[in-house]
Amino acid sequence: MKNKVCSITFGGIGGQGVLKASEICAWAAMFAGYHVKKSEVHGMSQRGGSVESHVRFGKRVFSPLVPAGGADFLVCFHQEEHPRLQSFLRPDGVDLTGYLEKAEKAVENPRGLNTCLVGVLAAKLPIKEEFWMKAIEAVFKGKGVEENKKVFLDGRKIGES
Amino acid sequence: MAKKNTSNQALLSGNEALVQGAYEAGLSVACAYPGTPSTEILETLAQQFPDVDVQWSVNEKVAFEVSLGAAIAGSRSLFACKHVGLNVAMDPLMTASYTGVLAGFVVVVCDDPGMHSSQNEQDTRWVALYAKLPMLEPASPSEAKEFVQEAFKLSERFDTPVIVRMTTRVSHTKENVSIGQREVPPRPQFERNIPKYVMVPGNAYQRHILVEKRLGLLKAISERSRFNRIERGEGKIGFITSSVSYQYLKENYPEASYLKLGMSYPFPDDKIKAFAKSVKKVFVVEELDPFLEEHIKALGVKVAAKDPSFRIGELTPDLIPAVVAGKTKQEAKSAKRKPRLCPECPHWATFAALKKLDLYVAGDIGCYTLACLPPMSALHSCLCMGAGVTFNEGWRKGAPDNKKIVGVVGDSTFVHSGITGLINAAYNKAKGVILILDNSTTAMTGGQQHPATGLTIRNEPTKKLILEDLCRACGVDHVDVVDPKHLEEFRTILEKRVNEDALSVIIARHPCKLLRR
Repeated sequence: MKNKVCSITFGGIGGQGVLKASEICAWAAMFAGYHVKKSEVHGMSQRGGSVESHVRFGKRVFSPLVPAGGADFLVCFHQEEHPRLQSFLRPDGVDLTGYLEKAEKAVENPRGLNTCLVGVLAAKLPIKEEFWMKAIEAVFKGKGVEENKKVFLDGRKIGES
Repeated sequence: MAKKNTSNQALLSGNEALVQGAYEAGLSVACAYPGTPSTEILETLAQQFPDVDVQWSVNEKVAFEVSLGAAIAGSRSLFACKHVGLNVAMDPLMTASYTGVLAGFVVVVCDDPGMHSSQNEQDTRWVALYAKLPMLEPASPSEAKEFVQEAFKLSERFDTPVIVRMTTRVSHTKENVSIGQREVPPRPQFERNIPKYVMVPGNAYQRHILVEKRLGLLKAISERSRFNRIERGEGKIGFITSSVSYQYLKENYPEASYLKLGMSYPFPDDKIKAFAKSVKKVFVVEELDPFLEEHIKALGVKVAAKDPSFRIGELTPDLIPAVVAGKTKQEAKSAKRKPRLCPECPHWATFAALKKLDLYVAGDIGCYTLACLPPMSALHSCLCMGAGVTFNEGWRKGAPDNKKIVGVVGDSTFVHSGITGLINAAYNKAKGVILILDNSTTAMTGGQQHPATGLTIRNEPTKKLILEDLCRACGVDHVDVVDPKHLEEFRTILEKRVNEDALSVIIARHPCKLLRR
């Protein structure tokens, strides 16, 4: 990963917490000292439409969008969205969709799926745990912080398996 | 990878970074009407900066006038809108160019190339040229912060509103942004100045002379501006570009030379000519219209530019090689899932009733516009804010034998610009039924307050506009208030009113379910 930009595509449908997941990831990368760009589109996200968010971090990032065939990681929240999102992945990129079913089973509340998948992703990224924890503190409020830290660590275990 | 010092940094969107920059520059008053992708500008101010006077205005024209007034009275002020919102504020904007300001006044316009959530993809850069106003175009959140601070300085130094033109990809990209301290400049003394602020013809003529002179001075600034930056590369290719296109180009052609235009109006002609001379081949790459291209060609500089097919839709890093190769755009069919009305949305019931009566439904801008989608297909026009009301009248005039015409408009949209159409209908003896789909919020943009919710942008109680009283005062014959989820009652009233020879308003009132979250 030296001197290289790491690109991650998150995708799912409105209401699944896709933007929150990319938000945690972007804050963690920033706390770890990287230049980060994250793209998202608002307006339709609560209306059940496709939702996509890109996170890119490295020494210096230009485009906020991941080009087709440019993602190092794909974090997919919904099987039906997978065929469309797959085109973002590099030929040697890591598709985390294989962990989706496990993550869905692991979370008690479906609203925790996003943080769980971030945990899965974290197992593959060169960002220390303290920065993930700090990111969760930045993104969630009140008791949501502890709840999400727990879900994150569960997800991380899944990612390490 | 190199590690940066992360103290005093936050991950901010372009809109949030712009707000941070404006706040640090001493912003005192800000006004807007919600509109994607600009909405978070006022929301962030309301939530995070209690010492700034902020409001959701009734519409963009009002927002522009209130915020300009504040600048003329001595406080640094900001107006924010989406591209189509600026159309509503064009009347004050054009003459504000003549009056100028006292304290700094920044006009933030967020364009939506690709129409992620808009009814057209007009390119606001022409407005800078048309209104003879300086324009800054940030390409990232950190630039949005820096540029808005410069915009306030330019505004005061040259006595002019300054346009900061954003796009969806700048507004909604997040990036590390450094946080600084707020410094409020001393407030200049508000004074009566009839020749400057009373735009009667004689005064306006004198001001127009100053506007033209100002453009010349600003052109000299544009030539020297560090925002119009030349980056020397190794290759023979040079790109002239602005906004997020710069980022996509750098991704594809890191070795090329660049003239990146951050202050894109007035054009820095000499810098453009000198840059063009210094490279073997020049490409102009910009999103939407050929704004830079046409001007640079008119300068007599030989440049290559995108095929006209790429004026449609947004650019992406993927499209850049085809753009530079001069190819025609290949239209790809999107596999993206379309948005739809939420499962419990009250609009479902409303449009089911309208569909059953087989009506011609003049639509408007809001969540309910989604009722045009199959299988519902029960909304038959969407033009601009307020046209649901006026199209009822126009359609009835144009098709006098058709009695099955109604108009629909949302509660926030009705207050924004439906009310004038309703007064017009009553005054001009129009008939028909106008349905105000009152979900008690501005739902499409995420649930903002408006006069008929009785709460301010900071959720403080205020005078509540009573829609039924307002409609009666306009002179309509019947005003009914019904919950569309009471299906039988709603259908009965709708059918009765549709078959009458009268002008009626039915307020279909049921709160948006997103409000309860």
